[in-house]
Amino acid sequence: MEFDRVEVQGLVKVYGATRALIGVDASFAAKRVTVVEGPNGSGKSTLLNILGQLVRPTRGKVRYGDENVDRGSDLRAAIGILAHAAMIYPDLSALENLALYAQLYELTKPAEAIAELVDRFEIGRWGERPARTYSRGQLQRLALGRALMHRPQLLLLDEPSTGLDVRGVERLVTTVESERARGAIVVLITHDPKLAERLADDRIALDRGKVVSP
Amino acid sequence: MRRFTAGTWAILLKELRVEVRTKEIMVTAGLFGLLVTVLTSLAFFLDDATALRLAPGVLWVGASFAGVLAMGRAWAREREADAIRGLLLSPVPRPAIYLGKAIGTWIFVMVIDAVLLPIVAVLFRVPLDAQLASVGVILVLGMTGYVAMGTLFAAMSVRTRARDLMLSVVLFPLTSPALVAGVVASREVLGGASLDETLEWLRILTAFDLVAVVSGLVLFEPLMSD
Repeated sequence: MEFDRVEVQGLVKVYGATRALIGVDASFAAKRVTVVEGPNGSGKSTLLNILGQLVRPTRGKVRYGDENVDRGSDLRAAIGILAHAAMIYPDLSALENLALYAQLYELTKPAEAIAELVDRFEIGRWGERPARTYSRGQLQRLALGRALMHRPQLLLLDEPSTGLDVRGVERLVTTVESERARGAIVVLITHDPKLAERLADDRIALDRGKVVSP
Repeated sequence: MRRFTAGTWAILLKELRVEVRTKEIMVTAGLFGLLVTVLTSLAFFLDDATALRLAPGVLWVGASFAGVLAMGRAWAREREADAIRGLLLSPVPRPAIYLGKAIGTWIFVMVIDAVLLPIVAVLFRVPLDAQLASVGVILVLGMTGYVAMGTLFAAMSVRTRARDLMLSVVLFPLTSPALVAGVVASREVLGGASLDETLEWLRILTAFDLVAVVSGLVLFEPLMSD
């Protein structure tokens, strides 16, 4: 499934008595990094989870390109997510984790794809050890490989720089820039103003579930 | 359908690989089940006839307690490093995630029960004969629905704070038809009845298995999407 923009219209999400999003309208374009800003509890992660098909909106629409598809396996195959947590299995090695995700994403040439990721993210001999033993930087490289192995059209980044050292942040910036150049739609949530300044093409500010002026 | 089968298979293989490496579920849940049966056998030091009547209850208590522990641990793995988010975002149909996890947990529980059954037989002086094999069949039927239902609620517990509490509090009442039918059918068989004579109980167990598996497949996605 291919699309070059994602639009949300009148998005509302209610959890019990809490209104996480209140009528959010926004648009995210290909080859651009959109930074979503706002204080804790402003609805940023809820918006990201809705875009990533992890949470259903209470009301409103999410439109992926021109096609009238807003859910399903094909759509999820076009989405990648990178967050502070690596979303991997700590008892499996990096290579085993990548092999698992290659199966889940039904890559046609999994061995070649994994070899390319190993090369791109410099996954060395440590990639054969259980992920539980990795440093934060090694975990990040594995997480990048997991999130990007299927070349997602929509890349969602949820505070991905938390806990990273300078080299880790640089690797993240380089990767996001190359994904943008490839044509991906990148949505970035971050509390790091320097990272936002370096990567943002567009900005959306949220406060108490509503879009406000940045 | 191909994506569903491939996804189920990938998740099942992952479950087995992690367990072979860590042995976490088999050791913790298996030892817990063993502890329950051994302590119970020591607490009730009785004559052969009374021991035979106690055996089904002890077997099912040990198996169900070990089962709830196994289900909780199986989903705790998904919570660590937020792996469940990666699975839910993948293109694998979400019911396939449920099925892969449920089959994996079912295999672990069956291995534990295969150890518990002869141990209970020895401790409670149950003859190792065809009647015991029939109890094994009843246990397989009962634990299938129990694990199928438990996997669904254990999955929900990934997203709640009172995880283990919720699993135990919700699971036992919901699976009481399987547990009651299993205990009674086992008691009848060890009392001398044939499997044919317990057909009504076996029908209840089979019906419960079907309801539990279908509920899991249907409800997993909506329960995990909010």
